[in-house]
Amino acid sequence: MVFAVFAPLIFAIIIPFISRFKRKIHTGWLILPVPLLIFIYFLQFVGRDFSTIMQSTNWIPSLDISLDFYLDGLSLLFALLISGIGTLVVLYSIYYLNKEEQLGHFYTYLYIFMSSMLGVVLSDNVFVLYTFWEFTSLSSFLLIGYWHYREKSRYGALKSMLITVFGGFSLLGGIILLTIVTGTTSIQEMVSKSDLIINSEYFLFILVFLLLGAFTKSAQFPFHIWLPDAMEAPTPVSAYLHSATMVKAGIYLMARFSPIFSEVPLFFVLLSIFGLVTLTWASYMAVRQTDLKGILAFSTISQLGMIMAMLGFGTTYGVFAAVFHILNHATFKGSLFMIAGIVDHETGSRDIRKLGGLMTFMPISATLAVFGTFSMAGVPLPFLNGFYSKEKFFESSLHLEGSGTFVEGLITAAPIIAVVGSIFTFVYSMYLFFGTFRGEYQESELPKKPHEAPIMMLVPPAILVLGVILIGLFPNFFNHVLISHSADAVYGDSVTKKIKFWHGWDSRAFQMSLVVISLGVLLYLTKSKWDSIYSFLPGPLSFNRVYDWIVEKVESVSNRITTFYMTGSLRLYMVLILTTIIIITASTLVFTGGMNFDVNDLAPITTAEIIIATIMALGAIGTTIAKNRIAAILILGVVGYGLSILFVMYSAPDLALTQLIVETVTVVLFLLCFYHLPNLESGTKSFTKTGTNLLISTGYGLLMMLIGISAYNSRFAETISTYFMENTYKLGGGHNAVNVILVDFRGIDTLFEIAVLFGAALGIYTMIKLRQDKGAK
Amino acid sequence: MEIIMIVLAAILFATGVYNLLQKQLLRIIIGTALISHGAHLFILTMGKLKRGAPPVEAHGVSDYADPLPQALILTSIVISFGVTSFLLVLAYRAYKLNNTDNMEKLRGSE
Amino acid sequence: MNNLAILPIILPLLASVIVAFIPGKLNMVRKISQTLSILFLIIVGYITWEVFSNGVIVLQGGGWKAPYGISFVADYLSIILVLTTYVIAAAAVFYAPHSLSNQQEKFYFYTFFFLLISGVSGAFLTGDLFNLFVFFEVLLMASYGLIILGNGKVQLRESLKYVLINLFSSMLFVTTVAFVYSIVGTVNMAHIAERVEAVPAEQQGIITAIGVLLFFVFAVKAAIFPLYYWLPNSYVVPNPVVSALFGALLTKVGIYSIFRIYTLIFVHDTSFTHDQLFIWLAMFTMLFGVIGALSTNNVKLIITYNIIPAIGFILMGIGLYSEDGLTGSIYYLMHDMVVKAALFFLVGALVVAAGTKDLSKMSGVIQRFPLLGWLFFLGTLVLTGIPPFSGFIGKLLLLRGALSEGYFLLTLVALVSSLLILLSMIRIFIRGFWGEKMEGMTSDNRKVHALTIPAIFLLSVSIFLGVGAELVLPYIETISGYLLDRTEYISSVLKG
Repeated sequence: MVFAVFAPLIFAIIIPFISRFKRKIHTGWLILPVPLLIFIYFLQFVGRDFSTIMQSTNWIPSLDISLDFYLDGLSLLFALLISGIGTLVVLYSIYYLNKEEQLGHFYTYLYIFMSSMLGVVLSDNVFVLYTFWEFTSLSSFLLIGYWHYREKSRYGALKSMLITVFGGFSLLGGIILLTIVTGTTSIQEMVSKSDLIINSEYFLFILVFLLLGAFTKSAQFPFHIWLPDAMEAPTPVSAYLHSATMVKAGIYLMARFSPIFSEVPLFFVLLSIFGLVTLTWASYMAVRQTDLKGILAFSTISQLGMIMAMLGFGTTYGVFAAVFHILNHATFKGSLFMIAGIVDHETGSRDIRKLGGLMTFMPISATLAVFGTFSMAGVPLPFLNGFYSKEKFFESSLHLEGSGTFVEGLITAAPIIAVVGSIFTFVYSMYLFFGTFRGEYQESELPKKPHEAPIMMLVPPAILVLGVILIGLFPNFFNHVLISHSADAVYGDSVTKKIKFWHGWDSRAFQMSLVVISLGVLLYLTKSKWDSIYSFLPGPLSFNRVYDWIVEKVESVSNRITTFYMTGSLRLYMVLILTTIIIITASTLVFTGGMNFDVNDLAPITTAEIIIATIMALGAIGTTIAKNRIAAILILGVVGYGLSILFVMYSAPDLALTQLIVETVTVVLFLLCFYHLPNLESGTKSFTKTGTNLLISTGYGLLMMLIGISAYNSRFAETISTYFMENTYKLGGGHNAVNVILVDFRGIDTLFEIAVLFGAALGIYTMIKLRQDKGAK
Repeated sequence: MEIIMIVLAAILFATGVYNLLQKQLLRIIIGTALISHGAHLFILTMGKLKRGAPPVEAHGVSDYADPLPQALILTSIVISFGVTSFLLVLAYRAYKLNNTDNMEKLRGSE
Repeated sequence: MNNLAILPIILPLLASVIVAFIPGKLNMVRKISQTLSILFLIIVGYITWEVFSNGVIVLQGGGWKAPYGISFVADYLSIILVLTTYVIAAAAVFYAPHSLSNQQEKFYFYTFFFLLISGVSGAFLTGDLFNLFVFFEVLLMASYGLIILGNGKVQLRESLKYVLINLFSSMLFVTTVAFVYSIVGTVNMAHIAERVEAVPAEQQGIITAIGVLLFFVFAVKAAIFPLYYWLPNSYVVPNPVVSALFGALLTKVGIYSIFRIYTLIFVHDTSFTHDQLFIWLAMFTMLFGVIGALSTNNVKLIITYNIIPAIGFILMGIGLYSEDGLTGSIYYLMHDMVVKAALFFLVGALVVAAGTKDLSKMSGVIQRFPLLGWLFFLGTLVLTGIPPFSGFIGKLLLLRGALSEGYFLLTLVALVSSLLILLSMIRIFIRGFWGEKMEGMTSDNRKVHALTIPAIFLLSVSIFLGVGAELVLPYIETISGYLLDRTEYISSVLKG
């Protein structure tokens, strides 16, 4: 099983190489066996009354992350869909994509996706599941952007990535909470500890995080907006990722986690509401589309909503119907996408307004399309699987239980909403078929003269249609070998349902079907009369506008915020930095009670010191108002010399000497460098600026003073200096302790102090020298 | 005495920062010089002032000033000297190239 | 044996001096620098192995027992960061010849480069607060030397601001050391920690205030909100190799220092400093950083701004101050050093390839340079924290740490900024690499390829850190346990 998951990934890595060397053969042929073999591998589990299988490989045990693959009915159903439809899609793409296209890229992305999707449905470890989950989003991004020279492809790719990765991060939040609450990373163990989850204080967050993850991925209202734009991807991709597999990952996730929430009505209510809204809204929107793939995209969204709603019903009926429909939807929708691709390929257009009357040119495609569309519409014929699942859907909407006003209202409304949604589904299905294959042929509108597709291109949709028919004819066979196992896995208990075609005239579900068909036919025939409703109804409700608005705003607002403070003005930066330091440190000092003015242990005051201090203070203030550059520099020198006199007074002769020398050299340097600079102007003219400067500088001075005094008065330990005096000669071999510290005790400070000077000297040299070289040129 | 020195250091800081917030390069650099004076004075003060003879071992003296802060100040003085000289040349070159010593005109857009 | 602890500081210093004496012989200087970098990397690798197998190595400088001399402490945290530094250095030294002009190389690039490595390693390894200041000055001086290499109008203008702001914060640093000396009478970090611990709780207010002041000193260097204004422009103007070194190393020294002092010394009032101050600042740092990244079309500036949210993530872990938080933070720190350097390398190559920095003028670069494009895409995934790459491990631990302590707002901010980081990076991919082939791409394919090779090396390290997390993570967990229990550090320095 591990191999089955990673085989496509391994191929994804070598595909770029084989596609480069094997120019003559279409790359697709070379790699077609991969999904086929995986399909056969998983097929062996079908029908066996198998117990679940678990295979583990360690990966990051420290984080409790291991590659645990878990196969039960649900994952088997998905694994078969992924590998089976994967095989057909690869076959189909061989004819759909030219050899001139960048096939290496295409198949690499596709196989990365295949691996990740298999990983999603087979992982038992939540973090491994998450890893694969993100990779399905990424490969979808790359596939949508496959024709990246098109503006719309880039737009669609970004949109799908942002929305699905947003959901992915939310899912990450949810699973981290789950692991914290349950202490395990295995989904199976989480299910067994569901009471811990339900009773945890984080429960609501877990629920919201997981739902966001699932709803974004499975394109539930209002996150569905990325899916129509994802149709920019090549059609095989739309058929594969964006209808049959990836978009069902969210449904898979909900199905997988539903046993955990089996005691939580809120979970089911939310799923039902979002599912039903999505179903209705998207089927209503589908009728409006003019692009074949656009219709199919909204149709997919609405069908996903339907499955979500059925899961949300949470009853045995609902769960069974949901699982059944996952399979059915994959078959008929996959075939329809492929036929839409064929139409596009052979006529050069997907615009349903330009198409029409293609039946005469493309009889086989048309026949296949009949099965697909009629199955989707739920026409009651015994060889259409879509009818059975629609029937089950109605049935489950009638068998709801629950208490509370809101829930009871929902129970009453569910069958009605189901019918309304299905009516629109019927309308767009008919529109899709009749608009394309019947009606008038408009030769002038089409870029190409239409003709039937190559036979091999028709094989994949034909196989899927065969699936539609077989499931329709022998529903209980599929039920027995596969569906009921899956439904059991979701429900956590045995769900045995018989699938029958005929329930009798008095069956409520059948009556609902009749209503759907009659109203559907009526609406379809009068479509042109009520079409104008679309010009105003989705307008304010368009979430596309919200998305565009957000993305646009994120950039423009970021720009505005950033240019507001990143002005390049040193003064502004310093003002902001200083204000922060002053406010936070001062409040810390006040609130922690760190101030200490308990003055003690002070040295006596002498007049000489006071005079020097006063001179220095006046000098320092003088520099701020001096108007002459020479004067300012000299006053600065006075302050420096004052400092060295203080050093003498305070028994620091070495310091005094150094300070004296350094100060002299610095003053000379100042004079040298600034001789050529313009003279000083009096400070800023603006009153507010001067005010701010004064406020901040005094604030900073005061802060330092307060901390200084408090620190001076809060001595918690004796200094380590006595050691130096005692050992300066004994161990250091010198009488002057300062010198001994510099060259011995803390010699490394001095070594690197020299390194700094070395760097400064080289830097100065570079600045001067580089200029001369430039001047020489 | 220490209190006076702390106040003096704080004045050096305040005037230094005030200069730093001006727009002319020369004032700004003078500001940094004042701030480093303040910092050095602080180190010395924090090690207690006038507690005995210079820290040079001599006969008959048992009370010395704390040598460690002095050593730290020495290191710091030399480092600031290096950085200040670098800064001066940098300022001069920046002035020459950009033709202004006004930091508000040296905002730049990239 | 103990001398091993100072080798990562001394060796590059020597190398720096050696290459300074032969500036004219460029080819020789390159060869020497490349050989030495690899040699040093091996040596540091050996030291790391030694530390993890035989415990913390402490060198008392000059043989003076602590706290009187200067202690160098090659403990788990510092040595692993030193190792990461040398990995990046080895990649950078191979990138430099293709990115810099000959003249820039001649003007002591390699000297400043080795000086920078020496200063950074020193800052990681020293156990002495004042000595940390000295190493800060060393690495800043080296960075001043590197930033002016272009010596153009713009470089000088931005260096001026950079030097001034750093000079200010250095002086604040010295002043804070004075305060610390005043209250505890020592500058050895282990000794400070020991003495601070002995202070009765009701008198600790002043210590907290000084701690906050020291935090700001490092926060300016680490580019934490709201003190990072100096960063974007001064990191964007120099050559990509310099930006890579700055982005990968300089801000990280700042955040490391916060890491060190706030796990070793100032842990007496975590309910204020860690739980409140750091967490809030971390949130703002993440958000404002990524807002900056979204605000511009300059590709290099986008990467530069992305330094800031990463610092926010690391600070978040320090703020959590739990096993998960610290482990995640250290992992994220290592990851970010490597991937930032790689991204700067790649974006440097992109600018060469496209002939412009402006994203709005780029398109379709991937058609000419597919390798560059895919490496950039990979880098984006690594940076965003998509599993199984290195960013994910750190992020997972950080989020787990945050959620298990009930920080929902923090988690939300972290997730939203991750998404925005992705948006800011994928914009480059979509607008710059995808699309119609643009005019004016370089014809010098070989140069672009030469520029991608060091990035490939670094990205492989990133992938290893992600996929092979199991080989690294247990060590990092050791580190966080060791940091939470400070006794081993203190006793190995003071009694060693």
